[in-house]
Amino acid sequence: MPLANFIRYVRLWLALARFALLNEMAFRGNFLLKVFVEVLWLTILLLFYDVIYSKTDTIQGWDRHQYQFFIGCYFAVEGMIETLFLENCQDFSHQVRTGKLDTVLLQPIDEQFLITMRRVDWSTVPNVLMGAGVMIYALRQSPAVEIGLGQIVLFLVAFGCAILLAYSFLLMLTSSAVWMVRNQSLMELWWLFSSLMRYPREVFQNSWAWPIGRVFTFVLPVMLTISVPAEIMVRPIYRWEYAWWLVIATAMMLAFSRWFFRRALRRYRSASS
Amino acid sequence: MNTQIAPASPVASTSRSVYRSLRKYFNIFRIALVERLAYRSDFILSSALRLLPMLTTILLWTSVYVGSGQSELSGFRLAEMIAYLLLVHISRMFSSMPGLANNIALDIREGNLKKYLLQPLDMLSYLIVYRVAHKIAYIVTSFVPYAILFFLCRHYFDHLPDVTTWVAYGVSLILAFFVGFYFEACIGMAGFWLLEVTSLLYIVNTLNYFVSGHMFPLDLLPEPWADLLKCLPFQYMAYFPAAVFLGKVEGEALWRGLLAEAGWAIVLVLTARGLFRLGLRRYSAFGG
Repeated sequence: MPLANFIRYVRLWLALARFALLNEMAFRGNFLLKVFVEVLWLTILLLFYDVIYSKTDTIQGWDRHQYQFFIGCYFAVEGMIETLFLENCQDFSHQVRTGKLDTVLLQPIDEQFLITMRRVDWSTVPNVLMGAGVMIYALRQSPAVEIGLGQIVLFLVAFGCAILLAYSFLLMLTSSAVWMVRNQSLMELWWLFSSLMRYPREVFQNSWAWPIGRVFTFVLPVMLTISVPAEIMVRPIYRWEYAWWLVIATAMMLAFSRWFFRRALRRYRSASS
Repeated sequence: MNTQIAPASPVASTSRSVYRSLRKYFNIFRIALVERLAYRSDFILSSALRLLPMLTTILLWTSVYVGSGQSELSGFRLAEMIAYLLLVHISRMFSSMPGLANNIALDIREGNLKKYLLQPLDMLSYLIVYRVAHKIAYIVTSFVPYAILFFLCRHYFDHLPDVTTWVAYGVSLILAFFVGFYFEACIGMAGFWLLEVTSLLYIVNTLNYFVSGHMFPLDLLPEPWADLLKCLPFQYMAYFPAAVFLGKVEGEALWRGLLAEAGWAIVLVLTARGLFRLGLRRYSAFGG
């Protein structure tokens, strides 16, 4: 029964999340420090764009507050990825290298679930809230934008797609550790890769980079991740086909990344005896 | 039995001990080099990914210049700005020390420090030789991707510096290595007093990203801030070498800058060594 199975996984995840929360709350000082670092990082990011917008009024049609919304959206999506998946995926290469993956594979449970969602990192939940705060602030600062209920619903759908799309890219990057015995930090690789999400896709327009922009919009559609939800909210004259493409691309990339992950597992050769 | 080894002549024994010492550090260098090259396919992937942020920053700044309708922002033309942002990566190639502080703090916490105390091996010298090997391996292996990148971006470098500037640039990079190494070593030494330095390191690195000029040339900041940040050691890890290369620091200012950089390097060497000595008094060699 697929539904019963689904409920089983939800309950399992909730139990794991509760356990992680207890763990996190045992080290409250550490939690506060981590939150402080994230606040610092967001401040630096906003300062950076403040310096840029002191020199120009627009970046490819994005004005200051529209861009702030974009940053808020990025921060919230990234916060969700870090909360739900990133730390788990980070562990994977270590498990492959040391052969500890054996234990994971023996569990009577979906490997992808166990490897990528086992631990919830509660310390990055505030990022989601901070991102939301920046988005709300940016919306209040741009009076030209009128927001209807339909738009908010659409945004939430696109936001959900953004998380799943980013997750499927993260999963593929994680899986590649089986082929390439990895000693680089996945966090760093993810940071490098996600630079494609951190800027509006319009920066690729009208330049020599146009073909690259096309590849990352249609072949590896990572550039839709933040652009589409942000555009739905703050750039009303918007081309709807990209919203549809985001939904389709998310479904396709989720399926493809799962296939990729399972192929990678088949190549796993344990370690030691 | 009371055997006495005849003392060798002092000159010969000094030169032999220098040779032994050199060979010891050469072997550390060789092992670290081999270790680094064992993970080459992952290294190639990460080098390829490393190009992405450069690509996106080039596009972002191009858009900023187009949007502003000006050809110069704070004295930087678009080509200079992009050249700067590429050169900052070269600066960071020399000055960034991933894992250094954490490993020092880990050695302190887990009691592994005794391996340095029991052997005729100075910890900071060991670590710096080890780091030089990793840096050389890194620079050699990433030479091809960087060469391709700089070749593709060659039109952003409209005039190449003269010989003096090249020499000054080289010196500023080598000093950047020392500034970066000993700065991060100092943070690692905080492990004598703090249980863990990861959070401290995160805070420092996040701030450093901004104040070292890694994100953009410090000249873009409004006035008190630009001058203030240029008084701190952080600018030498990113901003200063790149500015030297672009000829933004010339004549007397160049020599004063290099002297200040060397001064900071010495201050940080002394601080790191001092902290190590102070820390050893507190050190309890925890663990079996």
